[in-house]
Amino acid sequence: MAWNEPGGNNKDPWGGGNRNNDGPPDLDELLRKMQQKLNGLFGGKPTTADDGRPGGSGSFPWSLVLIVLAVVYGLWGFYQVDASQSAVVLRLGKYHETVGSGLHWNPPLIDNVTKVNMTEVRTERTTGQMLTEDASIVDVVLQVQWHIDDAESFVLRVADPLKSLQEATDSALRHVVGSQTLNGVISQNRTQVAADTQVRLQQYLDLYKTGIRVDVVNLTDAKAPREVQDAFDDVVRAREDEVRLQNEAQAYANQVIPVARGQAQRMIEEAEAYKSRVVESARGEAARFEKLLTEYQRAPDVTRERMYLDTVQDVMSNTSKVMVDVEGGNNMMYLPLDKLAENSGSGASTRTQVSSQVIDEITQRVMNQVRTEVNSNRRAREVR
Amino acid sequence: MNNNKSLFVIALILVGLLVLSSSAFVVKETEKAVLLRFGELVRTDYTPGLYFKVPLVHELRKFDARIQTVDSQPVRMLNSENKFMMVDSYAKFRIVDVGRFYKATRGDERNAVRLLAEQINNRLRNQFGVRDLHEVVSGQRDQLMADITKNLNETAQKDLGVEVVDVRVKRIDLPPEVSESVFQRMRTGRELEARDHRAKGQEASERIRANADRQKVVIESEAYRQAEELRGAGDAEAARIYADAYSKNPEFYRFSRSLTAYRESFKDKGDMLLVEPDSAFFRYLKDPAGK
Repeated sequence: MAWNEPGGNNKDPWGGGNRNNDGPPDLDELLRKMQQKLNGLFGGKPTTADDGRPGGSGSFPWSLVLIVLAVVYGLWGFYQVDASQSAVVLRLGKYHETVGSGLHWNPPLIDNVTKVNMTEVRTERTTGQMLTEDASIVDVVLQVQWHIDDAESFVLRVADPLKSLQEATDSALRHVVGSQTLNGVISQNRTQVAADTQVRLQQYLDLYKTGIRVDVVNLTDAKAPREVQDAFDDVVRAREDEVRLQNEAQAYANQVIPVARGQAQRMIEEAEAYKSRVVESARGEAARFEKLLTEYQRAPDVTRERMYLDTVQDVMSNTSKVMVDVEGGNNMMYLPLDKLAENSGSGASTRTQVSSQVIDEITQRVMNQVRTEVNSNRRAREVR
Repeated sequence: MNNNKSLFVIALILVGLLVLSSSAFVVKETEKAVLLRFGELVRTDYTPGLYFKVPLVHELRKFDARIQTVDSQPVRMLNSENKFMMVDSYAKFRIVDVGRFYKATRGDERNAVRLLAEQINNRLRNQFGVRDLHEVVSGQRDQLMADITKNLNETAQKDLGVEVVDVRVKRIDLPPEVSESVFQRMRTGRELEARDHRAKGQEASERIRANADRQKVVIESEAYRQAEELRGAGDAEAARIYADAYSKNPEFYRFSRSLTAYRESFKDKGDMLLVEPDSAFFRYLKDPAGK
């Protein structure tokens, strides 16, 4: 039976009701009683504690020593708890209380005080390769931010809370990743993985009574392992290629179609122009004809004759001519020699119309003409 | 005399403290203790508090009362596909019956940890041996772990005086040769995906280009149709105008048009005309009377 078990007040070693106030047990009184008993044992006279006169009961200054001891003991019991801390107090090994910030006093040697930081958010990081649901391997980096929520559990209930946290994190993360596909872990469901891990991890921590509260779980990195990174990068490149090819095709389309539209417009415009030209020239020609016709109908014969002669005159004046009197009854003949010489080289169009017989005749005539000219000249000189 | 007495008192106090310190002991909240008398268990039901023992007769042994960890080394295991894997597990346990615990482990906690680790690995081996990799890895193992925990807890309570709180698999790793085949499979999967994307890109590109080409042809041929219609309309209009005008006197049209044609046909010095003097033009050339 322990002295300080509940209900054992009468067995309190300090003999008084001091257990219930937080003041120091009355050591002075205890020592005085002891001294009295000892003095009684060894036949000395009983002394009292306030017998502080030098050389009272003896030369040894008992009360002074005791006062010093009491003061030292008293001061020793003071400690300070920061605003960020809580302190777990064990009294004679048994959980007594958890105190907050401020200045506290607990009897040393009897009470055991452990301070823990309650507000500091700490980070636990776990990394590694793990298997996914579709039996692929993924590289994951996970960060867990946590703080101590329950100082009593943290200090008293679990042997190594930090190691427990690490192990629970490892296990929870791998469990969650193992129930996700590789693609889910590295892209679509990252937040889901983090959230599931947080829930599961908190379950474990509560079960192990660590007193730890998980604030945030971040999946800081989840990617394919280095060994297959190339293949994964290539998929990214392939996606970009896909978009690039589409964009290039779109650019081609964006260029070809407007150009085609422009050309189409040009064809239509040209057709419109042709139409206008044809119609307008028809109108012009028709108007000209009608005007001429009006005049013609007034004097048909004369006009007709005039027009004919005009035309033939133009034609005649603009072309080379050879007058041929096939009957041969007339000596009148106009021969543009230079033109004839010129036309012997060209004038293919006319030459086809002129038969070789006709040409022979022409030369014959030309020779004759020359002869007569020469002869007439000679005669003229002789006459002189 | 008084001094002697005082010294004697001090000595007595010191001796008393010495006896007190070797006989009083505190069992903390985090501890379980057993009291032995010459190696025989006397008392195991300590709650936290202050106790006394008889020095030299009684021996006190303390154990950790908190939840502790069995962190066993990774173990090679065969699964149902006869592939090896490295399984790393841990367990959480707590001493509940310290007397039984002391007897079972002869006071050495490491023995308990070793025994538990062996049992856990045996159970995992049995369970994993009849499952394939997928079943082991995928998150459907909560029930499996719960069964193992429950089962182990029963035996551990009975044999070791220990409560098994939880058994968990930390990591399952594949040996290098299996990893390599997994990587190979992952690579081929990605290659499929990459090819698929590129092919889809080409498909889309081809589709877009062909569509553009078609639109081009459609636009141009429609334009051609419109252009031809316009030209035809122009020609028709012109023909109608000509016909309206010329049909007023067709003969005169033939005449005047012919004249224009002559004029247009013979306007080059290179054209040579062979003319006979008896044409209408030369009527007066031979004969002023024009006969």
